Order: sequence, then structure tokens, then C-alpha cells
Amino acid sequence: MWIMIANAGWILAAALFLWMLYDWFRVDTTYSEATLTSSREGEIEAYQETHKV
Amino acid sequence: MARYTPPEQSRFMQWVDIIFVVAAIFLALWLPLQAGWAGVSRSIVKIENPTWEALGQTPAQVEQWVKLGFADAAAAHDIIQNKFDYTIDWVQLIILAVVIAGYFIFLFRASDKEYREVIAEKFNDKNKKK
Amino acid sequence: MSNATASAADTVKKISLLRILGPGHVWALGVGIVLVGEYTGWNFAADKGGTLAALIICWVIGLLYTSVAMIDSEVTSTVAAAGGQYAQAKHIVGPLMAFNVALYLVFAYTMLEVSNAILIADTVKAYAGEGFTDWHYKGIIAIVIVGLAALNYRGVLMTLNVNFVITAIAYLAIIVLFFSVQPWSQGTILKLNEMVTPENALPYGWIGVIAAFHWGIWFYLGIEGTTQAAEEVRSPARSLPYGTMAGMITLLIGASITWYICASLMPWQYLGFTYYPLLDAGKLTGSALLENMMFAATILAALASANGCINDAARAWFSLGRDRYLPQWFSAVHPVYRTPYRSIIFLVPIALAFAFIANLGQAITFSILSGVLHYTFMSVNIMMFRNKWPLGTIQRGYTHPFHPLPAIVLLALCVVTYFAIFLGYGAQLTAMVVFYVIMSLWFHFYRYRYVKRGDQFTMPWPKPRGY
Repeated sequence: MWIMIANAGWILAAALFLWMLYDWFRVDTTYSEATLTSSREGEIEAYQETHKV
Repeated sequence: MARYTPPEQSRFMQWVDIIFVVAAIFLALWLPLQAGWAGVSRSIVKIENPTWEALGQTPAQVEQWVKLGFADAAAAHDIIQNKFDYTIDWVQLIILAVVIAGYFIFLFRASDKEYREVIAEKFNDKNKKK
Repeated sequence: MSNATASAADTVKKISLLRILGPGHVWALGVGIVLVGEYTGWNFAADKGGTLAALIICWVIGLLYTSVAMIDSEVTSTVAAAGGQYAQAKHIVGPLMAFNVALYLVFAYTMLEVSNAILIADTVKAYAGEGFTDWHYKGIIAIVIVGLAALNYRGVLMTLNVNFVITAIAYLAIIVLFFSVQPWSQGTILKLNEMVTPENALPYGWIGVIAAFHWGIWFYLGIEGTTQAAEEVRSPARSLPYGTMAGMITLLIGASITWYICASLMPWQYLGFTYYPLLDAGKLTGSALLENMMFAATILAALASANGCINDAARAWFSLGRDRYLPQWFSAVHPVYRTPYRSIIFLVPIALAFAFIANLGQAITFSILSGVLHYTFMSVNIMMFRNKWPLGTIQRGYTHPFHPLPAIVLLALCVVTYFAIFLGYGAQLTAMVVFYVIMSLWFHFYRYRYVKRGDQFTMPWPKPRGY
């Protein structure tokens, strides 16, 4: 049984990895780099930014 | 204090940096292995024709060894007689102490230097704007 | 995903990690990572110093980690940002320290993840029987690492919900085992006084107890990982201290029970040798049901741990990118799943590579070393925190009692642990510190030029005292 699970493991691992690569590619080509890396540390700072004149 | 503007890093150099970090991580794992440093200072103290008594096992303990799949004393010999060597190598200990102490001293001093820049820029900037 | 056109609006809209977790998730993250230590690893303390030494350090190291949890709760309830101690170091000590702390985190968690994958594969191998080749062994490792990475990729809520369930099962398994060996009547199944005799309790004497500190760390290593979730917790100031402390209590009870069961069932030499003390304990009860339960629980505990480790390592790596300590490319957040997806993917091949080449003991030692360096930092960190911003100058979510006693205890125990690792693993420890020295030099003299100075300080705090 474990041998079957291990073989299935390889296939599933490859499939999941390919899915991640595909999704990664799709996201990177859909959104701009500026959007993707727009996260800033701390909510509080984001709040301050919105109030900057 | 003037605001520090970092240079833009090219895509290529970003990759060089990533590769450097990954290579360093792998070296840190591989080098001790290759140089044989990863080994543990312990050795098997051999007893010829071991019996459970000679290995210092009581009947109750022997019962558990058997349940765990060690049929006779010879099978368990290598596990039981594998002893650590705790004699302290003072030279190595001193080297280690110096390395760790030096590391942390450098770490905190260099951090402090960088930290002063951060604070100066962050708080003086703010004051100017006000 | 059809809004490819909206690039102008895109620049205004910000994507951040999702604030969605509660204290239960924090508990699951902390205990999930650590619980595997009761299933494997802690027992090597018996190898280094005997069964009694394992009990002594279980409690002494428990004290170390209680200090860690208290200190961490105070700082992190105030500095609530992904990257946890990394963000703390950045605000309190300085950028270079922060860079090192993040490396400790990534190293400790990735190596722990690797250990877990190896442990699962080893456990399966021990039960798989004939025909289970190296190929199959690696297949198990691959699905564990890639499967959990995919889970993490898909979103943090699901990841930690899964962790909560499997951690709870693995913990319950220890409790069930405890009650089924009739702990109230010694001599029936448990034979503590026959396994641990005055002659063999401390086979190496007190130096063995000191040496055992090394593996004692494994009872609790990773509980401080709860802080990585700071940006994803709904109310960090409340949930983080609460989840962390609850986790610590859970673990102290679990560790003591584990010791009691295992010490009463196995001769110390075997206890220090086996990779699966609890599974072997299940086997020694003679009940196939208990054995199977412990087999499943071992795998679940390792899965929970690996899962939490991927979560934490990716958050730390992500934070490094966000501050440009590493290329900013890593700081991308997935617009739909809201996870640091590039960091998660990037760490997958690294974990796989290590899992294929390293062995369990080595991976664990790397992880422990990074952990101890990290705790050394924490003890100094809290003192600097209280000096730069004394109580009352900023709002703290939680204030830990008896300061500076916990910090001093922590520092002292760290020094003892360095010495303990030195006993047996001295050269590896030195090599490891040299690695961090090289990385620090690289950062200080080269990489730091790409970092925006003032932007690193993101907390709305007053100027620190003395600057």
C-alpha cells in the first residue's frame, strides 16, 4: 500500500508543483509588479500613508 | 541629514544576490559534512561476547529490549556501548567562545551604527516636514 | 482574473496579507510546529545524559521557553508585523541584527521542515516492508514538502485550520496513550523504577545533564514562531500573547507526560537511540491499536510541524524582500490568496534538496543552532526595548512581569546550551557561526546599500531614548 502511496506522491507532488508554477506565471503576467509588491509593514503605517498630504 | 536614496538594482544583480545566498546556505551544510566536522565525538566501547549482565541490563530491561526486537545482547551491544566522550578540548572551546563573542559584538556594534542612520533619517525628516 | 487592464488603478490599490486569524490559529501554529519534538528528538537528550537528565532539562528548558514566550509576547504585541522577531530586531537593535534574525528564522524553520519530511519518510519506511526503495522514500518526502507548500500557497486560513485539527489529534494521541498505560499504577505496564535505577539515571554524571541541554531545546523549539502570524491575526495585541502562552502550557504538560511514558517503558540506551520514542512506547504496550494510533500521530505531528514551518519561513523571507534586505521581488503578495507566494515557491526546491541530501540528526542540529542564536538575541533585545522605550512611553499589548529576570535567565541558559552543543558537536557549531559571520559581512558591507534607511522604521513610536 505504501508503495502505491509513494508513487502517487511523486505524481501528486509534480502536479501540485506545476500548478503553483502555472499560477505564479499567471499572476505575474496579470498584475503589475508594483501592485504585487505593494504590501507594507504594519497596518498603522498604511493608515499614515493615506493621510499624507 | 540628507535622505539616503539607494541605487536601483538590476534584475541580473538581484539574481546574483539570490544565488549567492543560496550557495552560502548550501556550503554551510555541505562543508561540515565534507570536512568530516559533522561527526559526533563518541565511540563504541567494545565488550567481547556480550551478555545482558555485562551490558548492565536488569531482567526488566532485558524484557523490553526483547519486545523491541533485540533478541540477544549482541544485537543491542552497539547501541548500549556507544558512549560519548565529554573530555573538554579547551583550545576548541576557547576558539568557539571567541568566535561566538566576536560575532555578537560585531553584530550589535554594526547594527547600532546602521540603526543611528535609520533613526536620524526617520525622525529628522519628520521634523523638517513639520 | 480578467482585470489585466486596470494597471493605472492597480498602483493605487494595495495588496497585503489577510487579517483573518484568531488565537486558536496562533496556538495551532505554535504547538503544531513544536509537538513533533515530543514524537522525536527530545529523547536524544537521554542519549547525551541519561533518562533523568532528560527530565531535568525538560523542566529547565521549559523555564527557558517560558521566558522566551513572555518576552516575545511583550515585544510582539507591540511590534506586530510579519517576520516576527525580524521586525522586532529592526526596530530595536538595528538592520544587521534584523538580517541575521531573519536568517536564523529561515534556517531554523526550513531545517525543521526538512527534519519533519525525513521523519515521515523514515517512519513510513519502517512500516512499509519489502520493495520500498529509495525512489519511494523520496516520493514521500516530495509529496510532504510540495503538498504542504501548495496548501500554504492557497491561503493562510485553510493552512492553519488544517494545522489546528492535526495538531489536536496528535496531542490527544499522547493523552490517550497516557491513560491507556494506567499511569496510576506503576508496575502493571509502566516500570519506571526498573528502567531508571540509581546506577543508570545519570550515566555521565552532571556533565551529561549539561550536555543534554542541546536536545532539550527540541521539546519546545519553534513556539516563538507564533509571531510570524502577526500581520494575519485579527487582534495581534490580544491573540499573540494568549495563543503563545496557551501553547506553552500545552507543551509543558505534553512534554512531562511524554517523558513519564517513555522513561517507564524503555531502557535509557534505547530511548536515546530510537527515532520514534512515542511510537515505540505504543508498540511496547502490546496493543496493535495503540501502536497504529501512535504511528498515525507521529506522521500527523510531523505534518503539522512542516506545515507551520513553511508558513513561518516564507513570512520571514517575504519580510526580508519587503525591506530590500533581499531582492524586493520576494515581497510579492498573491492578489487572490493573499500569501507571500514567491517566497513559498522559492523555498520549496531548497527544502527538497536538503531533505534529499541531509540526514535527520544533522538537519535537527542546524535547526537547534539557529534557534539558540535566536534566543540569545531575544534576551538582549528585550533589555534594549525597555531601555529605549521605557514602560509608559508607548502602548504595549502585554507587559511581562519580573523584568529583567526572564531575560537574564534566558541569556544564562543560552550560554549553557552553547556549551552543551559544544560537547559532541563543537566543530559544527563553529562552522555554523562562521557562516553567519560571512553573511553578516556581506550584508553590512554590500547588500545594505540597497536598503532605504528611514523606511525601515514603520512603527508610530517616539524617538528612542538615547538617540
